Amino acid sequence: MRDAPRAKGLLISHDTAGMALAGRSRTPGVLPAPHLAACHLRETRPTEGKGGGWRGGGRFRATWRLGVDAANGVLASVEEFAQPGDMDSWSDARLISAIRWDPPDERALDTLVARYWNSLFARCQLLVLDHQKASDLAQETWCRVLRARHGLKPEGNFPAYLMTIATNLWRDSNRSARRAGPMAEQWLMSLDATRPGEDGETLALVDVLPDFNSIQKEEQSRLKLDIDAALERLSPLLRDVLVARYLGGESAAEIARRYGRTEQTASGWVRRALRQMKAHIQDSAAGIPTNTAAP
Amino acid sequence: MNTETSIEQLLRWRLAQAEADAPPAPRAARLLALSRPWWESWPEQFQSLVERLGKIQIAFGHAMAEPQPARVGHPVPALLVRPVETVETSVRVLYLDVRDGRLRFRFQSEKPFGSEQKSLDVTFVCEKSQSPIATAQASLSVDNEYRLDAVISEQLSRAWEQLRVTDRMPFRLILRTE
Repeated sequence: MRDAPRAKGLLISHDTAGMALAGRSRTPGVLPAPHLAACHLRETRPTEGKGGGWRGGGRFRATWRLGVDAANGVLASVEEFAQPGDMDSWSDARLISAIRWDPPDERALDTLVARYWNSLFARCQLLVLDHQKASDLAQETWCRVLRARHGLKPEGNFPAYLMTIATNLWRDSNRSARRAGPMAEQWLMSLDATRPGEDGETLALVDVLPDFNSIQKEEQSRLKLDIDAALERLSPLLRDVLVARYLGGESAAEIARRYGRTEQTASGWVRRALRQMKAHIQDSAAGIPTNTAAP
Repeated sequence: MNTETSIEQLLRWRLAQAEADAPPAPRAARLLALSRPWWESWPEQFQSLVERLGKIQIAFGHAMAEPQPARVGHPVPALLVRPVETVETSVRVLYLDVRDGRLRFRFQSEKPFGSEQKSLDVTFVCEKSQSPIATAQASLSVDNEYRLDAVISEQLSRAWEQLRVTDRMPFRLILRTE
């Protein structure tokens, strides 16, 4: 039984799953084009019927969603999709394939969100330095991804894509804040601005940093606040550069490309961010009060 | 331990702490509801607004007959949708640039909006098909200008790449206050 083609896909529902699509063989295998994008398998009469499906002879009602976008290649085999209850083990590509079509597979989306929520939230936290705003930014990132889900490329680097969307949203919001006038002045710290103590390297950073594993909870909380305060004192640009370079693993050349600047400029930003970060951490360690407002 | 290594360690430690402090992940159903464009959530409202927007075409003809300042292009019919009222108006496109899949757009209302709206949810409605083609947030800038900078679809990017500010715009606007 075939339903009408829907969007870029084609829905086929039938009993005795697998028979119609796997060349009338019960042997699971890679499907020919059009490629399989997702399958919802529901057992209707588990023990009756005569050898209907590949799961031990039960009869199944299956809905197959077929991708006809040959550019994305073969997405999965029948065998892989025959175990819909085990989505945690699915690759990103398979989960993405399952959410690309209308309606998206909610279980696949839940799995994908759970897989990257914590890391996405953490990255957002280091950018916005506020728990609630970080949560909002992470959520908005997912909304953006979902609005563009039809164009997602299953074979791409999905976590990197997520982080890029989050960073772009954050940069856009900074741009809007700058246009908003005096209220946003705190973000307008000049790249050339100097901070008290920036050049006075009286403390070696190694003396300031504790052994993270051995410190007590209270000290951990203080260190978290110090790091957040130091990050907050960086301009949004330098904060983004620092996070992208050391947590996102972007090279100076990649950062430069993103901002449309030369690699030397981006390297300079990285050095400046490091220098300022070090100075701010030293300020905190030496008990010098921090001032997050722009000079 | 050099500075670079230390800062990297510090950031990685902070990242791990933030991961541990992450709130529960939102459910797929909620994300799907949030990501749905407003015209899908309220199709009747959208239809009614589009019909009303279409009627501004007459005013558009009159507006074109009047002399216009040289620095701006054609007026674009627009509806300003506030919680309590919907106002018919038109806007002047001051700047339009489509590059690398991003739309940079500046406009100004021909009539003052009355009360200051710091940001607007801008929905681009295709003039021919009357279907929604893009949506983005615009923020108030100097001289009562609104600016938006948004990622748009590849298809739209290709279609609007050659569009100039002096061209007649292939869209109308629904401006929703927050």
